[in-house]
Amino acid sequence: MGKMHIFRMALACLALSLVVSCGGRADVADEDMGAPVPNLVILSSLPEANRVNYEMAQELAEELAKIGVTLEARPTDFSVLLDVLYGEDMDYDAYTIGWSGRVERLDPDMFIHSINHSDNAVAGANNTSRFSNAEFDILADAQRQEMDVEARREIVWRAQRILAEEVPRITLYSRANVQTYDKTRFTNMVNMSGEGLFNEWSPLVMEPLSQDHTVPVVASNINITNLNPFAARSVYDWRNLRLIYDKLVRLSPQVEPEPWAATGWEIVEDTVVDVTIREGMTFHDGKPVTVDDVVWSYQTWMDLPDSYFASFTNPIESVEARDGQTVRFVLEAPYAPFITTTLTQIPIVPRHIWENVGDVTQYENARPVGSGPFKFVRFRPGEELVTERFDDYFFPVNIEGYIFKIYASPEGVLSDLELKNVDVISYDLIPAHINQIKNNEGGRFSHLELTEAPDIGFFYIGLNNNRPPFNNADFRRALTYLVDYDYALDVLLEGYGSRGGGGLVINAANEFWHNPEVPIYDTYDPEKARELLAEAGFTWDSNGRLRMPR
Amino acid sequence: MLFYIAKRLMVMVIMLFLIATMIFLMFRTMPGDPTASMVDPSIPREARQALLERYGLHESLWTQYQIFVQDLVRLDFGNSFFYNRPVLRVIGDRLPATLILMLSAMLVAYLAGVLGGAWMAWHRGSPLESVGVTFSLIFRSAPTFWVGLMAIMVFSVALGWFPAQGMRSTGYTGDTFFEIFVNRDFLRHLILPSIVAGFYFLATPLLIMRNSMLEVMSEDYIEMARAKGLTERRVLYHHAARNALLPVVTAGALFIGAAIGGQVLIEVVFSWPGLGREIVQAVTRSDYPLAQGVFIIISAIMMFMNLVADVVYAFLDPRITYR
Repeated sequence: MGKMHIFRMALACLALSLVVSCGGRADVADEDMGAPVPNLVILSSLPEANRVNYEMAQELAEELAKIGVTLEARPTDFSVLLDVLYGEDMDYDAYTIGWSGRVERLDPDMFIHSINHSDNAVAGANNTSRFSNAEFDILADAQRQEMDVEARREIVWRAQRILAEEVPRITLYSRANVQTYDKTRFTNMVNMSGEGLFNEWSPLVMEPLSQDHTVPVVASNINITNLNPFAARSVYDWRNLRLIYDKLVRLSPQVEPEPWAATGWEIVEDTVVDVTIREGMTFHDGKPVTVDDVVWSYQTWMDLPDSYFASFTNPIESVEARDGQTVRFVLEAPYAPFITTTLTQIPIVPRHIWENVGDVTQYENARPVGSGPFKFVRFRPGEELVTERFDDYFFPVNIEGYIFKIYASPEGVLSDLELKNVDVISYDLIPAHINQIKNNEGGRFSHLELTEAPDIGFFYIGLNNNRPPFNNADFRRALTYLVDYDYALDVLLEGYGSRGGGGLVINAANEFWHNPEVPIYDTYDPEKARELLAEAGFTWDSNGRLRMPR
Repeated sequence: MLFYIAKRLMVMVIMLFLIATMIFLMFRTMPGDPTASMVDPSIPREARQALLERYGLHESLWTQYQIFVQDLVRLDFGNSFFYNRPVLRVIGDRLPATLILMLSAMLVAYLAGVLGGAWMAWHRGSPLESVGVTFSLIFRSAPTFWVGLMAIMVFSVALGWFPAQGMRSTGYTGDTFFEIFVNRDFLRHLILPSIVAGFYFLATPLLIMRNSMLEVMSEDYIEMARAKGLTERRVLYHHAARNALLPVVTAGALFIGAAIGGQVLIEVVFSWPGLGREIVQAVTRSDYPLAQGVFIIISAIMMFMNLVADVVYAFLDPRITYR
């Protein structure tokens, strides 16, 4: 009788433990637990737009199902996703998206302040994770105002530590920029992270190996649409326009600001910067480049509310000529990225042409006249942009010009690479093509050199930090253990990229600003996630569903 | 006859107006904000708003529609969001390349199709006939981009007979129509894509011609021609084929409208700077004015070619009259 009783008890216990197989505190009744974790939706990329993001969202849904959270992966068109993320309602739980690694984003302001500061956690601003942390905000503001680079780095490093611990979002991976050029024809190429081979420097310093072929053909698989700097909206337009138009400062291959059309600058006060213009420069039409042109260009950019560079010109309060060679910028508040992002971006346009065109954004600018190292020769939409070297330029350029050739597909570029009709490519090769060039069957690609540059941009899982369960930092940290970073990198990206991790926004490719000492949550370990959740007071109810801590 | 044409043209205008309205609404109901593909998400919110206002997209749907219709009546399709240029000029720049490729493809398809189809009907049941049918159907059903890539691999990369990509050699100078289109360099670039496109379109004229020939061959006048002791070839091409051509002509007129869209993949594979690529880009980038303009113009061409087919029919076949 007694034995029988014990046996029954044991059986009942076994049955009970089977039901609550997810562990947790089986001794607490469901109604005494915290609220159930709500059913969630992750807006992922469409598989044809970004297969890696799409797969990773599906994976996350499966992992979360195993710990009793329902997450529906809903593939969404990119423009719809942006509507949701930047819309008034801010109605979303999680999403996958990425920030591309443009050169101006080497400056930490974008990835620290713009996407994490609580001021930007409002509708339409860039902190779409709605992350809000008072301690972090102080640092994000301070780095923006600290004009001393070393001191600023110290602050940025501290900010990264907070992000790594708080995990406002989970970075999945960064792509590697694998590109190629014809090493039998050109040498001295510059490879820059976030930019690849067709950066601002390669055309300036690359050297032809023979006198018969001095005009490289640069292949693109994306069309150029606009040659008007005030209307150009794509990176691809800009990659050419910045060679035709000049800028006061250029970022060196080591990503340090280098005086260019300026000979130097002086920080008079935290909010006042004097820039001295280089003497003797001319536009391609022979007219001199004056302080007047510089002031007029900046003023015009500042007056355009929807310009491509609006975020960089907004901090400028006023710009004026001090004398024949100096331009004075007055900033609304100290703005550290002013030299590295504003002065390195805004192109100088000839006032004598632009002041007569009416609305500058509507001008076709069919034949751009700038003061940059390359002169515009002709542009045929969908075919090619032809430039030639500007011989009166102050910096000696080795090539006699370049041709930006537009292809409709990467396959087309590959066949022309094989036929030696292309010398440099300006986009990232897809893994299949990298492998083909690497395997070099029959020596077809022997003339090519593959280059790899790590990308400073990243793709991530965004979490709405305003909503349960993502408003709980423990949950976000636990979530980092449910993401298989190696699967993303080694399988889906075939190894061409770098690992992500919780809260990683400035990765190792951005050597100067990346804080290597911060421990990043970047291991896939579902058991660990479970442990962390249990420790943080999450429980599993009788249906195996995860519940928030009380 | 003239009255008939006038009547048809009237109907065409009404139809076009309805189609334009549908296209207008279609793009507006498409999910996503058109500025999403135009501006980087990192630019300030006010900038996005300003952009919407510049393109008039902040107005109510009804106001937008009124403006659209007023412009349409004046044949003004507006400015492309991306190119900052009038839509008609963007289309005008690209249309010749597409038309030339299309007409050469048509030439290949119809020449081979009409002659081959007639020959196949004449030699009905021969092994060569089934080879012909199979051949044309293979090219019809194989993905054109695949056929194109294979053709590039074999004839451009391995054999080096034709250039692989584009419409002319890199750095080629010349701006007038003649400089661009009437020279050896252009012709060399044209051959491969037009053959691939031609083979893709081949099945339609070939099979129509063959079927139509089979019908004609049972007619009494063929018997008569034979009885007169004419040579096989003369009966085939002079008497039978000419009468069998009618349905092929109709199909040909309709073909022109359909080919602009059907040619998109060929243009992509060969990096041909035509209108097809532009259509795809305009739609994916939500460039409303350009996409609307292209679709309205294609519909107009389709309808017009329909009318042409009917009129030509009447000329070719005296039994047909329109009132």
